[in-house]
Amino acid sequence: MNKWKIIAGIIVFGSFWGFSEILIGSALSDMGLPTGTIMTGFFALTILVLSRMYFKQPGMQLGIGLVAGGLRLFNPFMGCHLCSALAIMAEGAIFELIWYKISPDFKQLKNTINQVSIGIITTYTIFIGGYIITQILTPIVAGSTFYIENLLVFMPSILARGLIPAILGGAILPVAFLIKKADIKIKDHLYYPATLSISVVCWLIIFGIWAIFS
Amino acid sequence: MFMGKEKIIPILAFVIMIIAVTSNVYVYATQIDKETIAIQGKEYSIDEIFFITEDKTIQTNDGEKTGASLEDLVMKAGVICPSCSEYTIKAKDGYEQTVDWDIMKTGILAEEGRVFFPDTPKKFWVSDIVEIEVK
Repeated sequence: MNKWKIIAGIIVFGSFWGFSEILIGSALSDMGLPTGTIMTGFFALTILVLSRMYFKQPGMQLGIGLVAGGLRLFNPFMGCHLCSALAIMAEGAIFELIWYKISPDFKQLKNTINQVSIGIITTYTIFIGGYIITQILTPIVAGSTFYIENLLVFMPSILARGLIPAILGGAILPVAFLIKKADIKIKDHLYYPATLSISVVCWLIIFGIWAIFS
Repeated sequence: MFMGKEKIIPILAFVIMIIAVTSNVYVYATQIDKETIAIQGKEYSIDEIFFITEDKTIQTNDGEKTGASLEDLVMKAGVICPSCSEYTIKAKDGYEQTVDWDIMKTGILAEEGRVFFPDTPKKFWVSDIVEIEVK
């Protein structure tokens, strides 16, 4: 595939993920809903899996995580921006590791049981990985000390909290495969303006809000 | 003979589900459910803490918060050397954060049993506190 097409794909998917994390994530948090569960189990997984299915390009999801994490740094709302940004980048990297051995034609994922299973494995692992990274980085970034015992004591809770995202991921993967079957194609003369416009809109909205709130 | 990836994927997913479910059972079974907070080996109710300590209002990145001064609480609890101690604030679900005196003295304990600090990320705002361990 044309490298510019892949770069444009990385930017648009990454921008949309970062945009969702900031606006939808903050709204869910304000409503008292489990933000991490919904953002990882639904948004992150859908974006990572759909981009993998359409572009079939290993390494691309790491780039998407880097773009999303980069945008997340400009979150105008409260929170540890650097920790969340690094956690998102780590989620992209963990996804790459899990999907490294999945062949480009997804032959291992032909049946629904395997689609559900890889959804569970992927979502659980990226949720747990992101959570642990945030727990480690937050005290360090805040200028305090990271205490390993604080993390070890809380590990059963972290492992327990991954259950709902895992179930969500297991439900979403087969749906993503159904969407893939629809075989939506965008013509080249529309692809670049569309991806560029969506990316610019995402970044402008976040920068605009960031400028107002800072 | 090696199993194909097609067969390993459901097995791994099953193992993950077992880990997640077992962890939930463990967390539920070991959750501490009590109305008091242990400090220096002594149990205090929230009402007692508010009775013996001064009120304090701090500005956090989530707005203004009022509660019992943690600095005063540590003093009243009889900690011998507050500035050379570390404080592990523990929640009933096992979550805990350790802070030094510089952070601890700026914080408050709100009526809902949650601590707030003015200059820390939300991860330090431990909820449903059951113990403040002085180390």
